[in-house]
Amino acid sequence: MITLPKSTAETGMLTNLSAENTALEIKNLDLYYGDKQALFDVSMKIPKGKVTAFIGPSGCGKSTLLRCINRMNDLVDICKVDGSIELQGINIYDKSVDVAALRRKVGMVFQRPNPFPKSIYENVVYGLRLQGIKDRRKLDEAAENSLRSAALWNEVKDRLHDNAFGLSGGQQQRLVIARAIAIDPEVLLLDEPTSALDPISTLTIEELITELKAKFTVVIVTHNMQQAARVSDQTAFMYMGKLIEYDDTNTLFTTPNKKQTEDYITGRYG
Amino acid sequence: MEALNLNRHISGQFNSELESVRNQVMQMGGLIEQQLADVLNAMADNNVDLARRVIAKDKEVNQFESNVDQECSRIIAKRQPAASDLRLILTIMKTITELERIGDGVAGIASMVIENHGKEVPSLIGLENMGQIVLKMLHNSLDAFTRLDMKAAIAIHSEDKKVNRQYESIVRELMTFMMEDPRSIPFILKVLASARSIERIGDRCQNLCEQIVYLVEGVDVRHATEEELNALLSE
Repeated sequence: MITLPKSTAETGMLTNLSAENTALEIKNLDLYYGDKQALFDVSMKIPKGKVTAFIGPSGCGKSTLLRCINRMNDLVDICKVDGSIELQGINIYDKSVDVAALRRKVGMVFQRPNPFPKSIYENVVYGLRLQGIKDRRKLDEAAENSLRSAALWNEVKDRLHDNAFGLSGGQQQRLVIARAIAIDPEVLLLDEPTSALDPISTLTIEELITELKAKFTVVIVTHNMQQAARVSDQTAFMYMGKLIEYDDTNTLFTTPNKKQTEDYITGRYG
Repeated sequence: MEALNLNRHISGQFNSELESVRNQVMQMGGLIEQQLADVLNAMADNNVDLARRVIAKDKEVNQFESNVDQECSRIIAKRQPAASDLRLILTIMKTITELERIGDGVAGIASMVIENHGKEVPSLIGLENMGQIVLKMLHNSLDAFTRLDMKAAIAIHSEDKKVNRQYESIVRELMTFMMEDPRSIPFILKVLASARSIERIGDRCQNLCEQIVYLVEGVDVRHATEEELNALLSE
């Protein structure tokens, strides 16, 4: 008889993750936009070197939660965060944490590709130049490695100095991913990275995500449930600011523990 | 099926596709049940005409299997079902395979009735009794599928023990006949094959019940012991 591991089967929450396998630990996170609470007591451990997907209906807080991981919400004046997110054992909301340094460790890619109005090459090495690296050889090497990791090198190697806007949407998105990984972050946050792309570019990015997890911890927000099912190792289902269920993707999409999850992934109204 | 809220998808089209495929399984189940009842009657009354009708009707059973299979493939391609929807489709695909094979078994028994007609064959009362047990098992399994009744499924599952005991005693009986009158061996071998077919129907009903447990609970019990199955009931 094949039974589910008890820890997840009973609670619908991944809790049995050892410290060395944990990339991020979110503890009792509450978030308010002014008076309105957007996240309610979210606690979860995000495993290292895996792809974790956040799914849920619009407004459920999944992008808000993702943005907490590199403190993008700091840019919103009325936003207040309680609780903690630990990266390598350090609470990123601690006063001593340098936000710029945090964002070097936690890169982010958005829904619409946003290359800078520069050449392909300059886009990729932008972060390195900001860090003060000037050695041409180092920059060239980093550009090539990042573009290769982003599965874009073969398409652009002969026109590295052309303007990045000349690339297609899918190529631009991969360029942005190359830019994000050029500075060698620990965690890569992807906020609906393929929702503005055609199906073929989407599949290329999905394939890339699977390869990226060998080097980085990937957290992805997606509206496309099949995408979450295809690319992620763990899936977290959120609803109205709460983490409802967080489990192994294979389990969540075949035998979810909570009725709300079941209703959402099967397209039922609850 | 209400427990699965099949009619609560946002897509009304998806609701009706699932409803349609589920209805076809029930119709196919009803047809097989009738076929099995008919062949048992044909055997009891030595009714060759009825046996021929059973064989002819097996084509309908096969057609059902192809249609439902096709519809399930379409649903998978178009809807990418998940969770209970996925389990329902997988259960249906396995259920119709079992039903179709029960149909083949029934057709085989019908052939035996035709071929052994007029021959001196020992009384088939034991076979008929065993047939009645599996007919009831089949009826109850289909009923449990319709009602998504896991408890009933587990209860039916354990009924198969009775079938196995009956089968063993029939085999012993038939062996005695063969030793007493070796000329009857060719006919008795056919009866033996039919007994085996009926016994297999009991096994297939067990498979149907295991699929019902999977559909309702999401647990694979295909290789579970009786204790493990009963433990599910107390959970």
